[in-house]
Amino acid sequence: MNSPRWKKLQRDLQAARGRMAMMALAIAVSLFGVGTILSAYTILTREISRNYLGTHPASALLELDRVDDSVVEAVRQRPGIVEAEAGAWVMARVEVSPNEWMPLLLFVVKDFNTLRVNTFQSEDGAWPPPEQTLLLEREALALVNAKIGARLKVQTPNGAKQGIAISGTVHDPGLAPAWQEQTAYGYVTPATLAWLGESDTLHILKVVAKDQPSDIAAIDSTVSALAVWLKGQGYTVEEIRIPPPGKHPHQSQMTSILVMLLVFSFMALVLSGILTAAMIGGLLAQQIRQIGIMKAIGARSSQITSLYLVLIVLIGMAAVVIGLPPGIAAGRGFARVVGQLLNFTLYSEAIPAWVYGVQMLMGILVPLLVTLNPILRTTRTTVRETLNDYGATRETFGSRGLDGWLSKIRGVDNTLILALRNTFRRRGRLLLTLGLLSAAGGMFMTGINVKTGWERYLADAASDRHYDLEIRLNSSQSEGKIFSTLTSIPGVQKAESWNFAPAALYRPDGLDIVRTYPDGGHGSFTLRSAPPESNLMGLPLLSGRWLEADDTDAVTLNQNAKALFPNAEIGDTLRLTVEGKPAAFRLVGIVKQILTPAAAYVTPNGYAVATGQSLQSTNAVRVVMSEHDANTIRAVTGKIERALEAENVSIKVVISETMLEGATSGHVYVFIASLILMSAVMAVVGALGLTSSMGTSVIERTREFGIMRAIGAKSRTVLRNVISEGVFIGLMSWVFAVTFSIPLSLGVGYLIGNLAFRAPLPLILSPFGLVLWLWVIVIGSMAASAYPAQKASSLTIRETLSYI
Amino acid sequence: MWTPLQNHHLSPIQGEALPVRESRLIELHGVTKAYDGAAGKFMALKGIDMQVDAGEFVAVVGKSGSGKSTLINMITGIDHPTAGEVFVASTPVHALNQEQLAVWRGKNVGIVFQFFQLLPTLTVAENVVLPMDFCNVYSVRERRDRAMSLLEKVGIPEQADKLPSDLSGGQQQRAAIARALANDPPLIVADEPTGNLDSQTSEAVMQLFADLAVDGKTVVMVTHERDLSRYFTRAILLSDGAVVTDPGGQNE
Repeated sequence: MNSPRWKKLQRDLQAARGRMAMMALAIAVSLFGVGTILSAYTILTREISRNYLGTHPASALLELDRVDDSVVEAVRQRPGIVEAEAGAWVMARVEVSPNEWMPLLLFVVKDFNTLRVNTFQSEDGAWPPPEQTLLLEREALALVNAKIGARLKVQTPNGAKQGIAISGTVHDPGLAPAWQEQTAYGYVTPATLAWLGESDTLHILKVVAKDQPSDIAAIDSTVSALAVWLKGQGYTVEEIRIPPPGKHPHQSQMTSILVMLLVFSFMALVLSGILTAAMIGGLLAQQIRQIGIMKAIGARSSQITSLYLVLIVLIGMAAVVIGLPPGIAAGRGFARVVGQLLNFTLYSEAIPAWVYGVQMLMGILVPLLVTLNPILRTTRTTVRETLNDYGATRETFGSRGLDGWLSKIRGVDNTLILALRNTFRRRGRLLLTLGLLSAAGGMFMTGINVKTGWERYLADAASDRHYDLEIRLNSSQSEGKIFSTLTSIPGVQKAESWNFAPAALYRPDGLDIVRTYPDGGHGSFTLRSAPPESNLMGLPLLSGRWLEADDTDAVTLNQNAKALFPNAEIGDTLRLTVEGKPAAFRLVGIVKQILTPAAAYVTPNGYAVATGQSLQSTNAVRVVMSEHDANTIRAVTGKIERALEAENVSIKVVISETMLEGATSGHVYVFIASLILMSAVMAVVGALGLTSSMGTSVIERTREFGIMRAIGAKSRTVLRNVISEGVFIGLMSWVFAVTFSIPLSLGVGYLIGNLAFRAPLPLILSPFGLVLWLWVIVIGSMAASAYPAQKASSLTIRETLSYI
Repeated sequence: MWTPLQNHHLSPIQGEALPVRESRLIELHGVTKAYDGAAGKFMALKGIDMQVDAGEFVAVVGKSGSGKSTLINMITGIDHPTAGEVFVASTPVHALNQEQLAVWRGKNVGIVFQFFQLLPTLTVAENVVLPMDFCNVYSVRERRDRAMSLLEKVGIPEQADKLPSDLSGGQQQRAAIARALANDPPLIVADEPTGNLDSQTSEAVMQLFADLAVDGKTVVMVTHERDLSRYFTRAILLSDGAVVTDPGGQNE
């Protein structure tokens, strides 16, 4: 490396250190992006699995009339079953602030110390909980605004409101985080449950199938065989829950978000690759005569090629050194944040060696691949061509239609005309610069657009609901009684009955198998009665029609429910199991309903037929209030609760708009934050690209500035000329970026929307994104061209003319 | 030696056969060069025949656009003839590809340019070592010493470790000559080497070239300047791509 050609390489690096540093920095920034996401991805997917599988999740949860020790013992001996355990759960309510109630899912555990299926660990306080106290999931503690030792007011479906002390906290990584679900999770003994007013009989049989964790079909057949056997033994088998095996309720959501971020960060890397190609192109253009001289004195193309390739490898290595460690660190930090948000513990932050390997390889290979072609093209140019190169051989101004048009521009400041024409002089460089800036801008705006689209979706979902409150009851009540109670309360404008019953796909064996998680929300499927004339819900139709008054067997599915019937078409008959009984409906329409579990909407008549419930009874009511602000809703809700209590109506859960908002924003907050982060990475790479390509084009034209000044141009004129050109290129790239962001936003929105909601996101061109990028581009191109132009204009004419 | 050439010379088309000389270094036969320009085909060289013997100091003179530079580009292999043959030290230059040319040129031809064309980021000595490095001749240890002795020969040993930009024009051209001599090539080709120098410096540089010819190098130089003619052993006058007068050739 001591020979003159390597010294030349070393000194070229030194001479162009600003540009070299920028190249390395651009690659480093995008490597940082890739590294962050890739390392977070490897940590999170491993740890979420480890956490979830660490709870020994049940393959299936069977709801029986009773689960006694003998049946647990017998089930353990059944073929295909490795573990069985009795449990129970009750959906209660907890008062989080005066008159404001939140769902409280109580898990009943017979013996906390021998728990083997769906386990959880003590975090703080007592273990097991003393009688007449409960343990709370650690994330639920903050949700109910309480501390260990505090008393909570709790009400079970059959019990009175009762104070109960929190004796400790647990960590239950098997559940979606309490704050995201707006549901508190509590853990009690059977005796405590009895004290709260419920039966202490355990009714849930949790089993672990041998085929755990992957084969859902095998689990289905094992568990249905078990259910048939249990029925034969005289047990009543009600709902059977078989959640997606081995997968945390938020695992798919998390993975899809990470994959999308990964795609964005790879795009940033490609972008920095293009940037490197542009900068190396500039360097080559600048050194083409030197290359010619070297070849004239005996250098082979391969010797010169290797010089430049080594240069690229060095830059790539520098980028890896700069970008990899912070990327890994940020990935760990990101994993920690996500881990905390999803309520799981990172047992290890180890990142597999291949992640390091892939990053090093990408940091070096990507720039190498994109620069290989320009380098080869230049080093293979013949000596005569290189020595004759004055920068205007092929791409000469004046040869095309556009130039003809540009030549006709009159009446504008001469400097501006020159800047305009200069812009189109080196088409290759112009295209590269435009490509780079348009790609960066397009991706930046896509990030913002997708974020806006997502937010709009949630806002639309909220505006689809024209009611303020949904009250679900623990048992069916007379509709007349409920309505008269409700409408007599001042502030209540209207009440409608929207009954609900859990539903499942019909199976020939008559079993009621659902894909619901133990939390009862994720993966659930409900049948709801919807008054056809109601205007409380205005869901957008995806196909078919909404229910009509004279429909009897018609059903409209939301898109999540439609996913359960992948082959169904409008007009087909759908077979369901509702409350253990088979029911058949004719599919008339599909509606879009965001962040809502699968639901099938039928007319009250249809609902009555399917469930056997009287038309005059109700178990869920939607209420419209005369005022819709949060304070009124809270006050009226309190009055409703007291009025229903006075009528001895037991409330299962009250869902207000504020709670729904908390739950939905809880689900998307991480995603939006990371999209913005990715947009920022794009913006940084784009800004670097802008600076460098402007810089390069100014350096290339140093000689021309000399000529301009020799014929009388002032330094200021040269400066203005260059800046105008920069801004002009920036503005052009902005137009392209906007154009490019449209299909890109559509594509990403389609991908993400389908992953998250089973419906593509709407395309929204965020004005904020448009204006922000315009600012970045205008200010950036001014700054980027001003500095090198300033430097060039301070050279003497003699210096600029002798510039090689 | 080079019997094909011999036969070629004896062909009736060439007319009177020349005596075969072992010392003949450059042979051009019917060299034609056409460029496709904006105004159609442009003939830069029209069937040039030319011979240069070892140890000659030949000037190629002519007006701007007469084809001087194109002619020497044919000899150095920087450009390919459209038709005809170019032999230098019995190597068929016209038949070599770019890669072969680079290696051949590095060892057999030293080129001196009008604008010196030293690499700006290398010191003078490093510029001189560069051809040895590219062609991998002389051992790594020897190279610096050889560069120093060449710089002494051209009279600027004290400038060895300076960058080209720190040198005067004359000094830069001396350094460029030293670089041309790096691999001890039999042929030195110079394209208006004094075009950018004052007259006093020009004289000194010309003397340097003349000394090289005396030492046995063959020097071919493109020049404008008639008053330097006393240094040359022969001058070839080009006009519109054809040889008008060649005291050593058949045209006279």
